[in-house]
Amino acid sequence: MTGPFAAPLVSARSLSREFASQRGVFSKRRVMKAVDDVSLDVPAGQVTGVVGESGCGKSTLARLVLWLLPPTAGSVAFDGVDLGAQRPAELRRMRRRMQMVFQDPYSSLDPRYSVADALLEPYSIQSVPLSGAERRERVAELLSMVGLSPSVAANYPHQLSGGQKQRVGIARALALQPQFLVLDEPTASLDVSIQAQIIELLESFRRDLGLTYLFISHDLGLVRYFCDQVVVMYLGRIVEILPTSRAAPRHPYTQALLGSTFAPDPSQRRTVTPLGGEIPSPFDLPPGCAFAARCPRVGRICLERRPDLVSGEAAGSVACHHPD
Amino acid sequence: MLSMTDVTVAIGAVTPLDQISLTIEPGEILGVVGESGSGKSLTAMAVMGLLPLIGGRVSSGVIEFSGERLTGMPEAKYRRLRGRRISLITQNPMTSLDPMQRVGTQVDQVATLHLGLTEPEARARTVDLMTQLRIPDADLVHRQYPHQLSGGMKQRIVIAMALAADPELIIADEPTTALDVTIQAQIIQIMVEMTRKKNVALMLITHDMGVVAQACDRVVVLYAGRVAEMNAVDALFAAPRHPYTRGLISCIPTDGLAPGQLKGIPGVVPSVLSYPGGCRFHPRCSIADTICATQSPVLSARGSGLVACHFSDVAPA
Repeated sequence: MTGPFAAPLVSARSLSREFASQRGVFSKRRVMKAVDDVSLDVPAGQVTGVVGESGCGKSTLARLVLWLLPPTAGSVAFDGVDLGAQRPAELRRMRRRMQMVFQDPYSSLDPRYSVADALLEPYSIQSVPLSGAERRERVAELLSMVGLSPSVAANYPHQLSGGQKQRVGIARALALQPQFLVLDEPTASLDVSIQAQIIELLESFRRDLGLTYLFISHDLGLVRYFCDQVVVMYLGRIVEILPTSRAAPRHPYTQALLGSTFAPDPSQRRTVTPLGGEIPSPFDLPPGCAFAARCPRVGRICLERRPDLVSGEAAGSVACHHPD
Repeated sequence: MLSMTDVTVAIGAVTPLDQISLTIEPGEILGVVGESGSGKSLTAMAVMGLLPLIGGRVSSGVIEFSGERLTGMPEAKYRRLRGRRISLITQNPMTSLDPMQRVGTQVDQVATLHLGLTEPEARARTVDLMTQLRIPDADLVHRQYPHQLSGGMKQRIVIAMALAADPELIIADEPTTALDVTIQAQIIQIMVEMTRKKNVALMLITHDMGVVAQACDRVVVLYAGRVAEMNAVDALFAAPRHPYTRGLISCIPTDGLAPGQLKGIPGVVPSVLSYPGGCRFHPRCSIADTICATQSPVLSARGSGLVACHFSDVAPA
């Protein structure tokens, strides 16, 4: 899974996270695995993409990797340090080095905090003493890094556009000069024109600051453009890891995702072969491959045995009984 | 079949839509594309006669539908048109469905109300329509409630509602934006099929040039309440003449793009309260010159299309 030249900055091993439904008057308490036995390495200085549709567990995985949500089982090592073995104070100190940018800038910014307040909050949480002059300087510096005018500092979130809000979200994540950013669908609620601006910005930070990203998205086209390696998830499990973003997918689900993206070119119009069936309920997964009900290549073994994630040539891995 | 001629929409003292002209024919899919705030949804509301809901009105220009004038039509008459001959599909299927009613009943009601069918007739028709929309076990789904269905299935129910009264025109306002990509691909495919099969005119509102390229026959590009460019889809993508159109196309990541090549459009769509003078796109435009800040470009014929740019002959950089 690791590229030949880059050591992993973050290593997740056999991460699982279960959620239980409330016991109702007429229903039993049921358990679902949002993330099931996921292992992945995030090489330093690279962009690792995690792609999948709603409910595949990618946002849960984002929180597990930063230990914002403790896993039911499994471990995460950040720069060789086992996050699960750290005391709260120690974990908080490590958080300076790893930050998160959330999907929805409309709800991740407190409407009562000015932009300057939002940008200074990480320093107060981490008890970094700053003088008044330093505070103004940091705010101005962070705003200019993300391409916003210093005058925005006094504004409140409702006075900003969606793209500006997400720039503030990114500036806040950069405040403590982290090495590692988890980006949870940072552009999903933005226009494509603004999405491209944000991606340009993230590309520049990666190049100039040497940041490492875990980039969560439902858009395989965007992930293939932006990421060095791509992890594909379906119903809580990794179904395929593409060692390079342009590698040809071998799992039928990855192929279906790729076949569902529309190029801005009418000469590439495609006839979509719709995936049959529905996504099974995560509370009631079939015994075999979770994708079997929608898979064009389904065979008998797929209904009986769950395929393991197997490493193939060129460092890619696929969990399928009938890969291409 | 539908034509808008120089339609200007006023809300109080501001005019968020300025002299919009477009046409759609039966069986045709017209894409209306632009960023948030470009006037796409207002265009839909103007056709649906829903502007009074937000305190707006068509202040000049004419909207005609199958030979009838929609502008100035009394509300009572408009109401018989809406849902019957013109129907609307919105972005979020949950806002179009009543959570307390079985989904099938909601589709049946459109046919009983508008076509005067009996309940059993309407029900049989709904199940048939749902089957055409590739809803598996349509009989079973007919009896289910919205919360029992996935997002893609709910959007198919909304499409069934939109088709139930055999409309002549469907306006779909970002119908797949809230859906996963595999589901978006299915829904777009179904909408294209139904448009052809039933010879309906479809106005497809989207911000995604990928969806336009995949589904539309012709396209209108809106920017800040004005038409920037209009053309057949093949011609538009082969030679986009407005810098804004080029920007919308080039901000979609594609497989051929090398790292660092993805380019957003700098800046944001201006607020209706502060539209810049001259060409409204000039503050964000990479080829703007002094004339762009002072003179509004006139929408004029270029090749098979129309474009509003002082430099529409400049080859893309």
